[in-house]
Amino acid sequence: MAIAGLGPHGERAAPPERLELSDADAARAREKQFTAAVVFHTTTSDWSTQALAGIVTTLGRYSAAVVEVVDCQFSIENQTRALERIVGERPDAIISIPIGNTAVADAHRNVSRAGIKLVVMDNGPTGLLPGTDYASVISADNFGLGKVGAELLAPFIPPRGTAVVLGYGVDFFASNEREIAFRQWMAANRPDITVKTVKFSEVDRVSPVVEKLIDAEPDLDGMFAVWDVPAMQAIATLRARNRSLPITTIDLGNEAATELAAGGMIKGIGAQRPFDLGAAVATATVAALLDHQPPPWVALPALAVTRKNVIEAYQVVWHAPAPPALIKAGRGGATRR
Amino acid sequence: MRSEARSTGAKREGVARRLGPGRGIGGRVRRIDAERSSLTAILNLVRLGAAKTRHEIEVTSGLGRAVVANRLGSLIALGLVDEDEIGQASGGRAPRLVRFRSDTALVLVGALDPTSLSVGISDLSGRLLNEHHEAFELGAGPAATLERLETLFDWLLDQHRHDREVWHVTLAVPGPGRRAEGERFAWPAPHFLPAWNDYPLVEQLMLRRRVPVQISSSVQMKALGELRAGSAVGQRDAIFVDLNREISAAIFSEGRLHRGTDGAAGLIGHTSCDDDGALVCRCGNVGCLELFAGADAIAREGTRAAVDGRSRYLAEALASNGEIVVSDIGIAAQLGDPVSAELLSRAGRLVGTVLAGLVNAFNPSVIVLSGAVAQTGDIFLAAVREAVYRRSHPLVTRDLRIVRSQMASSAGLVGSAIAAIDAIFEPSFIESWINLGSPLRHPTTERLIASAGGAATKTAGRPRPPDKAGNGRS
Repeated sequence: MAIAGLGPHGERAAPPERLELSDADAARAREKQFTAAVVFHTTTSDWSTQALAGIVTTLGRYSAAVVEVVDCQFSIENQTRALERIVGERPDAIISIPIGNTAVADAHRNVSRAGIKLVVMDNGPTGLLPGTDYASVISADNFGLGKVGAELLAPFIPPRGTAVVLGYGVDFFASNEREIAFRQWMAANRPDITVKTVKFSEVDRVSPVVEKLIDAEPDLDGMFAVWDVPAMQAIATLRARNRSLPITTIDLGNEAATELAAGGMIKGIGAQRPFDLGAAVATATVAALLDHQPPPWVALPALAVTRKNVIEAYQVVWHAPAPPALIKAGRGGATRR
Repeated sequence: MRSEARSTGAKREGVARRLGPGRGIGGRVRRIDAERSSLTAILNLVRLGAAKTRHEIEVTSGLGRAVVANRLGSLIALGLVDEDEIGQASGGRAPRLVRFRSDTALVLVGALDPTSLSVGISDLSGRLLNEHHEAFELGAGPAATLERLETLFDWLLDQHRHDREVWHVTLAVPGPGRRAEGERFAWPAPHFLPAWNDYPLVEQLMLRRRVPVQISSSVQMKALGELRAGSAVGQRDAIFVDLNREISAAIFSEGRLHRGTDGAAGLIGHTSCDDDGALVCRCGNVGCLELFAGADAIAREGTRAAVDGRSRYLAEALASNGEIVVSDIGIAAQLGDPVSAELLSRAGRLVGTVLAGLVNAFNPSVIVLSGAVAQTGDIFLAAVREAVYRRSHPLVTRDLRIVRSQMASSAGLVGSAIAAIDAIFEPSFIESWINLGSPLRHPTTERLIASAGGAATKTAGRPRPPDKAGNGRS
């Protein structure tokens, strides 16, 4: 699938192949024994676990040590404090997923000003420039993921029906791009569908938002959740209220994959490849540490996952066999409501 | 928060009553004019960072302590400055810092390119709070473009408005932006594509947003952005080159943008490179630079190389994507494809040869290359450098830097925000709205919006060229 979106500054995407290092570069990197710290928005999701595995495995290949992994728990303050502290500890590089866009811009800018290489995942905070403030942005094609979410949900929405976007109420580039793309696809291809939006601001407070939504909009026909964790919370809330709704989302987490395979509420998923993303960000980091200039935006394409291809997609995304429960659900197991 | 807003509103009304519309006679008129003038001077000193404390304002402006205190009281009541932070002491008591409240209002900016559309929202310092870029074919037509712009503006406002006014909209377009005779904000309809002739884009935007709308040249806005926040910060003599489907340049000489009589200066894509060539340019001439070094021209050559088997890399890209765009050629060149490398090298040499003439004429300190062709990588950049240095006089290249833009399309948004803010705070304009607390309540603004209604309705009756939705591939 081609890359549908543009980068944080309107750049055209470069493929991860552009990051390949020569044997001589690899040998030079091993000799230098680089160190890197990782600052993530969360480390508890399936996506984060996989991305971290990709980073650690690839950095290890170049004898670079991951000296610290920080879980910011989606907190701007936590991230700002963590970056300030780690800058003082002087690793060679920091890999970060910025939370809250401009709110963390200065904290990230100070990393490169301190002479530490910065590689960001998902987005570069508005106002920061590649080459000066960070080496590269490595991300999934978030715009493409939003389009996949719309395309897979559309068949389940009746003519002149209503869909809702369960969006993230924090200024976050990845979820913004998904939401914009979902709406654009619907406007262009299913203009009969009314698209509404509700937002949650805290990842563990999705349920009250969905409760309120169910009361206010009893005739909803479908939902697009901007990633799998809030999608699964929405499903739990809907089940508790004895409601069912076709849902599409982003990221092939274990629970979402099983829900899809079992014919539950999730009807389709736009999957990222977090392990491969992690591998790409690690390679970009080593390239930057060797004073190469990686492309300003490297993007990996979206993967459209339905009940039909969920097991194969799981293997591609997770670099591992699908768990027995998923295989059972996907190959004629019990169908969930 | 609400009571605070009401309180600020009441204070604003008080200031407006005191300064009034200026209809007094004799000495009172002169006093009011002087008061407005000093308010404007102090606001711009604070806004541009020339003075940060009461003492610095007194020294820089030459105004007395009592006058400065009085005017600052008015500006604080209007919500345009605050004194909430304490500065560093230099011996005595630490002074309060006077700061411009850039969060008082917002500016919406958009930038159109032939194959992409960008939007952003900025505060009154020109700092972007958010931006979004997406593939978009301008060939979709003006109505579809306007609809997409409006959708994205609505989305940005949902995220960032928080009860603040939008004071201005600036749209950067791939064509000359020229101010209509005698008008501050009303720009003529853009006519960079035949289907856009007479389409009431400016009027429609004004009617919907109820704010002044300004149309500006895309390349000039990108250049302004680079000068304020990118690779040309602090430079007075700079050339910015936008290399996409079309090739154009903006030239800053001694700190001033050279616009030309018709606002169309910089069309270097139409410099002749091959007088005997058979290819005819859209301008009617033959041998124009764009026909060899424009993004479409390079992509066309790449497609030929893919089809006739000269490039395995490009053949694979064509099979995979269904088309070749210039970024594919950049990727192939980086991966070692000699055909792609030569295509970019040749384009770079041609661009560099044309730029050498400008370098000889203007002696810039920096050339910033931007756009899809510049983004292909180091091979193109190296070829431009080689040609410029080889074909220019040594005296004019001694201190010349040739760099690739880091801001990419963000430069157009930042430049547009700067242009909007410069228009809002232009001293002669600000003097006539500062007593009203907002440029939206200026009579010129109200008149423009009222006249936009008539123009939009009048033109709406004309037959429209057919629109189609369009989504370009990256």
